[in-house]
Amino acid sequence: MHPRIFLAALTLGGAAWITPGGAAAQPAPDHLIPQSLQIEHKETLEQITALAKHKGPVGVAAGKVLVLYKKHAAREDEFIFPPLTLLPYLADGKVTPDMAWALPMTDRVKAEQEQIFIEHTEITEALNGLVVAATKAHDNDAKEFAESAAADSLNDLEILVPAVLMVGDTLHSKLPAAH
Amino acid sequence: MAFWIERVAAVAALSCLSGQAALAGDAGAGKAVFTSSCSICHSVQPGQNKIGPTLFGVVGRKTGSVAGYSYSPGNQAANLTWDEPTLDKYLESPRAMVPGTKMTYAGVKDATKRADLIAYLATVK
Repeated sequence: MHPRIFLAALTLGGAAWITPGGAAAQPAPDHLIPQSLQIEHKETLEQITALAKHKGPVGVAAGKVLVLYKKHAAREDEFIFPPLTLLPYLADGKVTPDMAWALPMTDRVKAEQEQIFIEHTEITEALNGLVVAATKAHDNDAKEFAESAAADSLNDLEILVPAVLMVGDTLHSKLPAAH
Repeated sequence: MAFWIERVAAVAALSCLSGQAALAGDAGAGKAVFTSSCSICHSVQPGQNKIGPTLFGVVGRKTGSVAGYSYSPGNQAANLTWDEPTLDKYLESPRAMVPGTKMTYAGVKDATKRADLIAYLATVK
């Protein structure tokens, strides 16, 4: 069996596998998040990781952002953003029973709205710390990154989380009661 | 030393004023609070909205009233005037006072820092 097929089979079975280095890796999620958000997560993570390697206060401040961001992004990948992959279908007026997978996620987002907001609050506070450190260090790249990341954080609260809730409301209202 | 005695006396006196904000803040110290806690989202320049609305002239203005800023439903419906006592209460716990606000800020829990911040904001006009 081709290694990639073997790994895919393990993933579909919901099992973790052992990497050649011996560390246990997590299985791929059952439902991905929209590609644009995957790219955003990847780039943001890369930038914060790089900043966290800076010497001095900028690195320290970025390290704090990194811890909070990784934790929050994992939750976004797990259940906050996957339902958004249904948006193009819903916008086309298509609601089918196989979309029911998203309901536990949208229900969880609704139940955890306040916690999600608190996480953004913590991230914004840490980003403000990064701006302060970057300003003192005359590190314009770090400052611009932090300001841009804070705007992205607001984008989540203004647009993406409400969109997830609307996906949930649409599915609840249009899927058969059995779901 | 005298400064701290004055400060402690002022805070103690203000804590006795039910429903009133701490009005005797230090604007210089408040500017530092603004920089460390607010500046990523707010400008103090007129007309310069960032993630949050400009705070130029915030003291005394109505909620949801800055031109060109897209407010949350919570702030639009708040119908408050940002006077010092209102700002004090809001800054202590924004979401408790204005449910639905999108300001991602947990609040300034220290009453002295709040008073300082409000004193600074009062100078930005």
